[in-house]
Parts: sequence; C-alpha cells; structure tokens
Amino acid sequence: MDDIKVGLTPKQRAGNLLGSFGLIAILLIIFGFFSLLIPKLYFTWPNLRDMIRFSSYVGIGAIGMTFCIMTGNFDISVGSMLALAGVLGASVALKAGGIFGVIITMAAATLLGVINGLFVTKLKIPAFITTLGMYFIFRALAYIYTNNNPQYIQDRFWIFLGNGSFLGIPLPIYIMALCYVIAYLMLRKAPFGRYILAIGTNSRAAALSGINVDNIKILVFTLIGVFVGVSAVLNGSMLGAANPGMMGDGYEFQVITAVVLGGTALTGGSGSLGGTLIAAMVIVFLKTGMSNAQVNSYWQQVATGLVLIVAVSLNKLKFWLIGQTQ
Amino acid sequence: MKRYLRISVFAILILALVVTFAIAGCKTGTATAKGTTAKTMKAADVTIGYSVWTMEFTFFQNLEKGVKDACKAFGFKYSMLDQKSDATQMVQDMNTLVNQKVSGIVSTPVDPGAMAPAVQKARDAGIPVVCADIGKSGPVNALIISNNFNGGQLAAEFLAKLYPDKSTTFGLGNLKPQWTYARQRGEGFKAKCDELGYTVKSEIIVQNPSAEGGYDTMQQIMSAASDIKGAFFTSGREAVGAANYIKSQNGEQKVVGYNGDPEEFNAIKDGILAATVLQQPYVIGYKAVETLKEILVDGKSYENVEIPAEVKLVTPENLEQVAKEIMDSTGNSAYGAPATTTTTK
Repeated sequence: MDDIKVGLTPKQRAGNLLGSFGLIAILLIIFGFFSLLIPKLYFTWPNLRDMIRFSSYVGIGAIGMTFCIMTGNFDISVGSMLALAGVLGASVALKAGGIFGVIITMAAATLLGVINGLFVTKLKIPAFITTLGMYFIFRALAYIYTNNNPQYIQDRFWIFLGNGSFLGIPLPIYIMALCYVIAYLMLRKAPFGRYILAIGTNSRAAALSGINVDNIKILVFTLIGVFVGVSAVLNGSMLGAANPGMMGDGYEFQVITAVVLGGTALTGGSGSLGGTLIAAMVIVFLKTGMSNAQVNSYWQQVATGLVLIVAVSLNKLKFWLIGQTQ
Repeated sequence: MKRYLRISVFAILILALVVTFAIAGCKTGTATAKGTTAKTMKAADVTIGYSVWTMEFTFFQNLEKGVKDACKAFGFKYSMLDQKSDATQMVQDMNTLVNQKVSGIVSTPVDPGAMAPAVQKARDAGIPVVCADIGKSGPVNALIISNNFNGGQLAAEFLAKLYPDKSTTFGLGNLKPQWTYARQRGEGFKAKCDELGYTVKSEIIVQNPSAEGGYDTMQQIMSAASDIKGAFFTSGREAVGAANYIKSQNGEQKVVGYNGDPEEFNAIKDGILAATVLQQPYVIGYKAVETLKEILVDGKSYENVEIPAEVKLVTPENLEQVAKEIMDSTGNSAYGAPATTTTTK
C-alpha cells in the first residue's frame, strides 16, 4: 500500500481525486448554489426526494447504455423502445391487470433489446445504423398498435410502483438502487464486466483471447432492453398513461448525456456506473433548480450544455493529469 | 316529571350537538372533495403555480401572460415552471409545485392523458388544479378551453357565405383522434355544414403537425376531391401550409385556419389564407386564475367543470383591429411583425 502511495506523483493524485470526486463536486455545487439562492423552494426534503425519484427515469435506462458505450457501441432506439414496451404493457394491463402489464412491458423491452443485439452481431449491421432504424420502427409500431391513442394505466399496483413509498422514500429510488447494485456486481465482480471493457478497448484482441464477442454484445443490448423496461414501468406509473407519441420522446439523448457526463468514454473501454448515476442526478438537480429559480428555458439549455462541457473537460483533465506521469 | 326532565335534557343535548355541528359547518364552509376546499384564503396569502407546455411558442407565451396578469390583478404571488414539451417534466413540475405548497395550480399539459396521478397528488395535498387549454385527466377542478365546436361552426358559416350555392363541397384537414378537445373543431365544422346543406367531401387527418404536413394533406384532399371550393384546417401551421399548396397550384379554393398564430395573420394579410378562427390564450390563462380565485378566495366549489372560452373569426376585414387588440392585451409584438414562432396545436 505504501509502495503505491510512493508511486503516485502529485499530478496523478490530483487526477485520481478529480476522477473520483469531480462529478460529485459538481452535484454538490449545484445543490449548494440553488439551496442558497432559493432555500424555501429547493432545500427541502420533499424537493430532494422528488429530484432523486425523477432521476430514476434517466438513471435506470442509462445503466444499459453505460454497458453499451463501454463496448464502443450506441443504442439510439431506447426512447422508442420505451414507448413500444410501455404501450404494449399498458394495453395488457387494461385487460389482464397491472402485474401482467408490468411483466409484458419488461418482456417486450427485453425482446426488443435482443432483436437489436442480433441485428448488430449476426447481420453485422453497425449498432448506430441498426438502432437508428429501430428508433423509427419501434415508434411506428407503437403508433400502429395503439392507433395513436394513449393507453391509460389505472391499475393500482402499477401506479403504486412509481408513486408509492416505503419508510418515506419513494419506491423508484429503491428500484434504482437495486438496479445499480446488480449492475455494479455484474460489472465489477463478474467476468462479464471484464469482457465488455476488453471488447470496448479492442474488440479483435478480445475475440482472439477467447471472449465470445457476439454473445457479450447480444447480452449488452438485452440488458439495455431490461433496464429500459424497468424505466418504462416506472415512467408509465408516474404518468398514468403510455402515449405512443410522447412516451420516451428524446429519452435517448437524455440517457446518452448522462452516460457521457458520467465519464464513460465514447470510444469504449472505460466508464463508471457511479458516474452515470451521479450524472443523471446532476441533470435533474440542475433542471429543477433552474426551473424553480424561474430561469428562462433557453438559458436552461445553455447552462445544461455548459455543465456537460465542463464535466467532460474535467474527465479529459483527469486523464491528462494521470497520463503525464505514465 | 322525571321523565319530562330526561326528555328535556336529551332534547337540549341533541340541540346542542346540532348547533355545534352547524357552527363548525359555518366555520369550515361546505368543503366537498379534497382540493376544493371552501376554507377561504386572503389574496395576499395565495400563490399560484403555473406549469406551461412550453414557452417557445406565441400561443403559450400569451397564455402565460394571461395567468401572470390575473395573478397580479388579484394580488396573488406567482411561480411558473416550463414542461419543455416533455410529459415526464410535466409530472415532475406538478410534484415540484405540490412540494412548494402553492395554493393552486394552473396547468397547460403537454400530455393531458398523463397527468392523472400528479393531479391526484395535488388534490390529496389540498391544492386545487385548473387546466388552461389542451385537455385534462384525473380529478381536476376545472378546464378552461376554447369553444372549439363553435369555432368549427364559425369556419363553416364563413365558407358558406362565400359560396351560397348549396351544391358546393368542402374539405377538412383534421387532427389526430387523441386530441379529443381540439377534434371538436372538426365536429363543429361538419355539423354546421350539414345544418346549412353543404357537404364535406374529403376529410383527412394531418399526420405531420406542421406547415409541411398541411401542404401534404391539402394535396391529398385535392386528389380525393378536386372540385371542393374550400377547406377548413383545424390548426394554424397546417392551415398556412395548406393555403400555400393552393397558391402553388394557382387554385381558387379558400382555406380557413384555426388558432390565430402570427403567421396565420401574415398569411391573411398576404391574401394566402382566407380566414382563421382565433383562440384567445390570454383570456384562457386569465380565466384559469379567476377560477382558482373563486375556489381559494371566494370559497366556491368546482369539480371537473368545463368552462368555454370564446373564439372569434378573423378575416381580412377585421385583421388589423384584432391584431391591435392582441398586442394591447399581451404586449406581444409578433402580431405586428413577420412571425417567427408558432404553436404546436
């Protein structure tokens, strides 16, 4: 342990510190700033609780995307996937009850993820092209299936999942925490995590070292479906409806923003689930703070863009600091 | 004697109970459902939270101005949140306003079908909710919305005056079925045409809600019924697109729009669009706060009430006057200059 400490230069230490706490610092600065600016509106437990609750919408969907980007791929169909799975589940819930609706939503999203994975691996169509195509197809299917009519969710169980609470903490927060624990164990304690990092670093080398790259990629796209399914269930519950046109609209950009803001390299090979989670919270904390402070919506977009650039710059700075001594 | 005494004591007790409940009833008012409290507030203590679909479009800017001006007029505090055309943000905003413990909420929902759980939460917290335009779901107190059916009738009457021959046929560019309230424009148009003896020969739903969508739909209507003399498009941008298609074909058909967007005004001025049915977003916003004032300050009860806001026909004859009225009430200069923005409806 001492040897490691001796081996670190001040620059490396600064780099590591930045990597570990940079995003947390941004989150705390945002929270502190708005707490001082509008304490009665922002610095309250109900507000904090709801901000974390709404972070789950992007935060859970971003788990699968983090895995995907770690392998050097993208999935831009997640918003449409969320809508299609949501309307399918909601329509089933109307006839068979909320439990079946939730199961169908999860199963449908997972299946759509498998389809994406098969297209990318077996037909060798680049992930960007495949998921761009699916972005249109899934959304169109949602329209066709519902005849462009919203599917209302009135089942008490389903509504409870997104709006209920236990010990004063909303259920989506528990569900998000559980998802992150499972994902963390997969990434850090199971071979799967090593494989996706290896594929992201060098796919060919990973294949030569015996990793079944195609199977891992299919699994990654399937996991995107699983986590998008969870998000669809919670989002449908919070909205009380699944609207084929509006559900998940722009979701892909929010999710990819959270992953990139969280420090996952777009080129693949490195990333952090913790970073993704904090980034999802940064986005919601910032948006809520600016809305409460009555900031003009155009300036809100400017501020969100600036925070994204600052966070990614900090990540670059971290690598530069570490890289200087290597 | 004892018996009479017991009866008297019992009667006095009953009377006392009745009087107590009556007094209590007077003190607490006639509250019905949660959030429709008849417990009145002083104007200075009232804060109105407004959740708007988006502030990018003129229609919603004018609606917000109406809400803000009404708050000012009634001495209420005011807080506004922008949904940015995102249904999830809409629900989050509603929760934020509940957390802020505002006295009443006005919402112009981007997805009215998706607001029921959030409305329920607000009502459970004792906060009345009034929707300003678009639609509603859940236990809202009131919905202030344009008299869309009447608007459609005005469009039919206008076209009927232009073409007194009853054998004339018209087209209709309608909205998608999910826009329950806005679809009433088309229903009003068809009903009035029917009443006056005219035929709506071709009705096509605009799939792409934009000027391009209106252009394409007009093309389809003309393909299906080339002999129509006029068409009613139930939304602003689409109507301008449809009128531009007619212009590109050097056609004689007259197109009537709905909304009263700045570019519709410009299109009427340029002779491209024949007329439009003007919604009054400022009035809708103002009425929404007025309704909350009646609930919160005057103790009046509202439960799932629909309050229509009047619409008016804008033609080349009254265009300048109406534009001036809008500018006077909203201060929005878009009606005096070439339009750069529009609504999503």
